[in-house]
Amino acid sequence: MDTTQLLKGVLDLAVLAVLKDEDGYGYDIMRRLRSAGLDEIGDASVYGTLRRLFQAGLLTTYVVPSESGPHRKYYALNPAGRDQLLRSGKIWRSFATTMDTLLDDKGMAA
Amino acid sequence: MTVTEQEIARYVGQVREALADLPPAVRDDLLEDLPEHLTEVAAEADGSLHERLGPPEAYAMELRTAAGVSAPSATPNLDQRISAAVREGWARIRVADDRLGPVLGYTRLSDFLRLLRPAWWILRGYLVAMLFTVVLTGTSFGLLPRLGGSGLAALLLLAVTVTGSIWLGRRTERLGRRPRLVLNVTAALLVLFGLAGFAELDGRAGGGGNPVPYEQVYTDQYSGVQDVYVYDSQGRLLEGVRLFDQNGQPIRLGHPWCSEAQERYQTMPEYSDPTRLPYPFCPEGAPFRFGPTTPPTPEPAAPTATPGEFGPSATPGGAAPTATPSAVQGRGPAPTPTPTD
Repeated sequence: MDTTQLLKGVLDLAVLAVLKDEDGYGYDIMRRLRSAGLDEIGDASVYGTLRRLFQAGLLTTYVVPSESGPHRKYYALNPAGRDQLLRSGKIWRSFATTMDTLLDDKGMAA
Repeated sequence: MTVTEQEIARYVGQVREALADLPPAVRDDLLEDLPEHLTEVAAEADGSLHERLGPPEAYAMELRTAAGVSAPSATPNLDQRISAAVREGWARIRVADDRLGPVLGYTRLSDFLRLLRPAWWILRGYLVAMLFTVVLTGTSFGLLPRLGGSGLAALLLLAVTVTGSIWLGRRTERLGRRPRLVLNVTAALLVLFGLAGFAELDGRAGGGGNPVPYEQVYTDQYSGVQDVYVYDSQGRLLEGVRLFDQNGQPIRLGHPWCSEAQERYQTMPEYSDPTRLPYPFCPEGAPFRFGPTTPPTPEPAAPTATPGEFGPSATPGGAAPTATPSAVQGRGPAPTPTPTD
């Protein structure tokens, strides 16, 4: 199964998760996702997701001047975003547990 | 850094193009931070943006999906339709260019038209001179720009404007977009001015046979009329006559020119409206007299008019009313026409 397909459903959750402890700018967020193991994540997907979450009112932004290169727009979770992360996280855990159990029953331990 | 700002700008531009069907506000919002973001991407590793991110169209597609905006619509938006129409128009012009050229013995029609450019520069200079003349002196369009009626001034003005136009023509290629646009619009206006001027000139030269409109002739013909005298078929002068045209409008000719008429005009309230004054104003001034000047009585009066009784003021040449004494008709009193409406 292609990871990209799975990613589509949980990209929001993944982006919210990497912003939970530390604010980040676009490329920084993608780097965090990749270093966490989501290698196949597309640049446009991260960028587009950030724009959409911001539009949905789950993120706030602020601009930080950078000595080298352009100013960076940092994204941060706001209360609505934290709430969303909590709820989506619960759903994901329950879903993942269900899938784990399902796979374990069939004797297909990862 | 291996990726230049130009490459980033080009990549963003291509992504923007691929999102052309989105409402401008949505698209601008989506692409707001993309240049900065791509700068970070470019700074990270080697290789062109194309290699790292794939083709801009694919990037735009992924961006659409992730950002949750609609997929590209099948029907092109207005911008795309207009640009398609413009492209098609240019293609047709090119085809016509290729086809019409051989007719004149050139590869392309534009090759021939290009040869005519200096001729246009001279014409442009001439038209500017004409415009100067018409605007400054208010005279009508002639063949020479006669400033103050002086032929020498005209030639000097022509020399200046034509030379200037040629000078400008040789430098047009080097001008920027905006000045060229201004120049082309001005040229179009000049051509319009020239066409209007030549049409006026042609009207004056070609229509020379009868330049005065008919209406003026009409006015001139009757401007000398002071009074109107109406005679019946028996040569009797009718009084209290009113004239009307086919629309029932009173025909007013002349004016109460004798003192008697003016008295009447002042004393009788009925005549305060000059359009209601009956003809003749001054019966005494009748050009022909035969018999009584009073309106004919109902009973057939004995015909008294004889050619010998024509007054001295009768016009020679037999233009007098044809009074036929023998005709005895039971005509009623003087006809007083009333408007039908």
